[in-house]
Formats: sequence, C-alpha cells, structure tokens
Amino acid sequence: MGAATRIAGKDLKLRLRDRSVFILGIITPLALAYIFHLVFGNAFSADSLELEVGLVDLDGSAVSQSLGEVLADLDADGILVLSEFDDPVAAEAAVEQGDIGALIELEPGLGDAVLMGQPFTIEVVGDVDSPTSTQVASSIASEFGSAVERAQLSVATAVELGQGPPPEDVAAWGQEAAQRPPAFTFTDVSADTRQLDANTFFAAGMAVFFLFFTVQFGVVGILEEKQGGTMARLLAAPISHASVVAGKAILSFVLGVISMAVLMVATHFLMGAQWGPPLGVALLVVTGVLAATAIMGVIAGAATTADGAGNLGAVIAVILGMLGGTFFPIGQGNELLARLSYLTPHAWFMRGLADISGGAEWTAALPAAGALLLFSVVFGAVAWALLRRKLGK
Amino acid sequence: MTTVLAAKGLNKRFDDLVAVDGVSFEIAEGETFGLLGPNGAGKTTSISMVAGLLEPDSGTVHVGGTAIRTSSTDGRAEIGLVPQELAIYPDLTGAENLKFFGRLYDMAGDELERRVGEVLEVIGLSDRKDDLTREYSGGMQRRLNIGIGLLHRPRLLILDEPTVGVDPQSRNSILESVENLSGQGIAVLYTTHYMEEAERLCDRVAIIDEGVIQAEGTRRELVSLVGEKDRIRVTMTGDVEEVARIASELPNVHEASVSDSGVDVLAAEASTLLPELLSRVSAAGANVTGVAVFEPNLEAVFLHLTGKALRD
Repeated sequence: MGAATRIAGKDLKLRLRDRSVFILGIITPLALAYIFHLVFGNAFSADSLELEVGLVDLDGSAVSQSLGEVLADLDADGILVLSEFDDPVAAEAAVEQGDIGALIELEPGLGDAVLMGQPFTIEVVGDVDSPTSTQVASSIASEFGSAVERAQLSVATAVELGQGPPPEDVAAWGQEAAQRPPAFTFTDVSADTRQLDANTFFAAGMAVFFLFFTVQFGVVGILEEKQGGTMARLLAAPISHASVVAGKAILSFVLGVISMAVLMVATHFLMGAQWGPPLGVALLVVTGVLAATAIMGVIAGAATTADGAGNLGAVIAVILGMLGGTFFPIGQGNELLARLSYLTPHAWFMRGLADISGGAEWTAALPAAGALLLFSVVFGAVAWALLRRKLGK
Repeated sequence: MTTVLAAKGLNKRFDDLVAVDGVSFEIAEGETFGLLGPNGAGKTTSISMVAGLLEPDSGTVHVGGTAIRTSSTDGRAEIGLVPQELAIYPDLTGAENLKFFGRLYDMAGDELERRVGEVLEVIGLSDRKDDLTREYSGGMQRRLNIGIGLLHRPRLLILDEPTVGVDPQSRNSILESVENLSGQGIAVLYTTHYMEEAERLCDRVAIIDEGVIQAEGTRRELVSLVGEKDRIRVTMTGDVEEVARIASELPNVHEASVSDSGVDVLAAEASTLLPELLSRVSAAGANVTGVAVFEPNLEAVFLHLTGKALRD
C-alpha cells in the first residue's frame, strides 16, 4: 500500500502542475452547471410554465360556455392563466404583444352548428414565442372538438331513429366532452415526487458527467507511464504490479472525490443547489467515484495508447451521460429509455440524490449506493484483470 | 571475485520469433560486462529478463544469489535499471525524480536527502536540481536517467544503450560516469551496438546476434579467438626491404611487408613487440619518422563471427 500511495502522490503532484484536471474536473462542470442554472433555473417548477391562454366566446351558447368553464377550472387549479376577452381584435392584439401565449376563439353560431350537426370551427391563435401555451391551447381545443364531434354523431344517429335528444342534453354532452382530460399531460415535478429541483439537477448532472473525465487522469496514467518509458523503471523496483495499478486507482478516486466535493460546495453557494443529508451524499459520491474509476479502468485496460483511451473514454462518458440523464431528466420521457438509463451509474447517482432530497433520511441513498457499488465491483474486477495483464506484457 | 549476476540458459520466444536462445553469462563484483550486438539482436530482451521485467520461457537469473522472477519482488533492490528510453518525469524536478524513485526502494528521511545530494553531485546536476527536467538538455536528462538507476546503491546496474541519441560531449560524460562505477564495486551490464563503447568500458564482452551469444570474453580473448593480429605501421627512411626482412624474423611476428612509406608488421601483440622492433630498425640504419599501432577491434570480430557489420 505504501508504494501505491507514493505513486498516487507523485501523480497527484504531476496532475496539479498540469492544471488540466482543474479545467475538466472543476471549472468546466461548474461553468456549464451555472449556465444551465441561468437558462433553465426554474424549468422543473410548475410556476415556471406560465401558460397564459385567452378565450373569446362570441357564441355564448351552452356548448361554448362549457369550454369556458373547463378553462376556468384549470385556471383555478393554477395550471394555466385564463384571460377572457369580449373583443376578438383586442384578444388577437394581446397575443401579438405577448400578453398571452395563445387564444381560443369560439365563433358565433358554434352552439347551433353543433346542435344541427353541421361543421364548426374553433380557432387557436398562438404566439410564436410561446410554443408551450400554443400547444396546450391547441390540445384543449382539439380534444373539445373531437368530443363534440362524437356527440354530434350520436345525436345524428338518434335523430335518424326518430329519437332526437333535447338541446340541453346535447349541451351537457358538450360540457362532458370538454371535461375529458386534455391531450397533453402536466406533471408537477417537485421534491415529493423524487425529482431534484432544476439547480440541483444540473449541478449534479454536470458533476457526475465530468467525473468520468476527471477519473481518467488516474487510470490512464498507466498507459502514459508505458509510453513515457517510466513503467519499466516502476516494474523493476521492488514493488508489486498491483501497487502500480492501485496507485493509479487511488489517484482517480482522490481526484474524483475532490472534484465532486468542490462542485457540490460551489454549486450550493452559487446556484442554491440542495444536496440533502451529508452522509447520504457522501455515500453516493464515494460509490459513484468508485464506479466511474472502475469503468474508466476498463477503458484504460482495453486501449493501447493514452490518446486512444482518452478518446474512447470521452465517447463512453458522453453516451453514458446522455443515457443516464445528466443533461435532462430522461425518466420523464420514454419508458424504455427510463429503464435503459439504469444501466448507467449516472442514473443511479441522480436517483440516489433525488431519493435523499426533500427531507428524506440518508438511508434513502442505500439502494442507489448499492447499485453503484455493484458497478464498481463488476467493472473493477474486469479493469484489474486487464491492467494487470497489460503490465505483464 | 563474488559473482553478482548469473544468467543461465535464458530462452524467450515471441510467437514464431526466437528472441533469445540459450543466453548465459555471469558478472562479478566491480566488473563491467558488455552485450554487443546490432539492433534486434536480443540485447533488450535479455536484460528485460535479467531485470525481472520479462519472464523467460526457460532459464534462470540470480542476482546476489536471489532468483529474479516477474512475479516476485525478491532481489529487485539489488538491481538498478537504466532503460534505453528516458525514464524520468518531465514535470518533476531532478531532485523530485530522484526522491520519488528512492522512496520506491524504501529510502526515506535524511538517508534519502543525503543520497540524492550525492547522486546529483556525481551526475553533475546539483545546480539544476530544482529545475523541471523538461528544461534539461538531452545530455542532462540522460545523466539523470543514469543517476536514478544508481540512487539506491544497487549491486548490479543495467544500462540499456544509454548513449543512443546523445551528442558527443554528453556521450563522453556518460561513458566517464560508467567507467567510474567499476571502482565502486558495482557490477555493470552494459548493452550497446557501438563497438567503441564496448571496447572502452567493458572488462568482458558477449557478442550477441539473432538471440544467440556468438562469443564471449575479454577484448583480447575475442580478438585472438578469430585469429586477428595487431598491425604496426612504421614509417621511415632507409632500406625498408631490409627492415621488413629483419622484422619478419622476430618472434610472434606473423607477417612483415613493405608499404608506401615504410613497413607494416602483423603481430600477435604489438605492445610487447614494439620496443624490440624499433631497436632492430634503428640498428639497421633506418630513420624512423612515425609509428602507428592498429589493434584488431570488435567490429572485425563481429564481422568475422556473423558475416555482417554491427550497424547492418
């Protein structure tokens, strides 16, 4: 162990003099996290969507009013902000000026057209700068229209059979149709649904993404020693081959932990990232760094040159980082991707942090830490075998 | 003298290539032993096995009586290795390089500091010890490379072509450093493809080609092995034919012939013959204007043994 720590100490001195470890391990992830914080700082907050939808009801029938009532309910629930207009010109001007994101216009005669089984039009006017509001308004209008069409078909069938329903029933059906769930889904992502807030998410994502680059400085050192000619001298010394591999792994671990710790402290003060109970965070950091070291150790063991290992490592780090959801919460999307993401340490690290956020106990990190430890053991064993074999050649 | 290194029957094959085939040699304390051969002859493979970097397919290596194996660290502390490539860290200072490798040999504290100072003196880098080695000249880096091998006072120092790519001045400095080592009782294994270095430094030389030691011995033994003679060229004025006849009758003279400006004499050993030869030439009334002795060299021996030049 003494020889391993001496090798790690020497390498640490070299890496600190080199300064690239600061750039890749601390400055770049911090800068990117801060940029994400500025751009998407409130992206995961329900308040941040600010869906502003306008309504002009020029029809005033029971059918058109039923849509207005549904929109008013959504407003009351805080999901969107509804503005009602009497004047269509003023309403469209409000869209033009960006006061509202989208406008639903119900033309005169809508109710009669529905009752008569005739075609009808619902217009949605959207602000190009508010695509989400426009999409939401379009979805609501589309769903309303589809439901009313289905009601018209039922009415037409009944009339054909000589049992025409009373108009108030048709209006009730229209209201019922409007109350169907909209095509879009709105999820309130907050701590109690095990989701990090945006600032912590981006800080954690960048930290774990760049962790894989940082730990490379350790294990790839084996290839650099071989290329630089110093490996022969290390192997001729009265130290075991295992000490050389261990020395490099220790450096990877130390650099990884230092960079994660610095990033966590810095993002807490700069961006307000909330990391959760320190013991749980420490557990995730330690197991996460071990997993990253093990995976990058496999790459160093498989590559033949330091440059090759660097390139391959970068590709693997980017793929794992993307799949692991370090840039965006992949678990919110496609189910298959969400499942695949758990093939990466990144996803487990992010999940572990989410598990201990929102006031949970540190023990909530244990499942994710266990998964990370499994990554460490499996890939660590492969890396150990490959690197020992490399030294024996 | 005590045997420091004993290599017996070393064999190493890489797929279909037989890199080393039955190489055996011994080196005694204070002796400098040369492995002379062209590139690809098996020198580096041989010393890699001696240093414990490469496991032989068969054969044994003992240093100070301890078997050297790649799987064990036993006996490693007795060996100092100076690889052919520069094996130093460019972003560490000269002193930091020495201290790091010293610690790998369990040196520490005052002992390490003192020894680092001594080695820096020996290799002439005391005044540059705190500079990063990337700022050193090529010759300084080479000297540090050797210094690291010497740091832990090994009984056996292995130098693998330490002067390759070095300017003449630095080369001479390195050769002087190696010459001084035999006086300190260190056994030196020196590989080179420069005949002049082997002749200058080595007490004994093994000529190696295609993984096989072709011949081994002192320079004199190797030369006599192939029947080479010293050539003495005496330039003179006078009766050169009479001088040639007189010279040819002297003991140990193989041949004496008239050359452009004097007489060429082929003899077993020029140094013992020369006083008698010059005395006879003077007695014959000739006026000697110059004497040159050409001893047969290892290049000629290598050529004779392998049919090719060292630098082929």
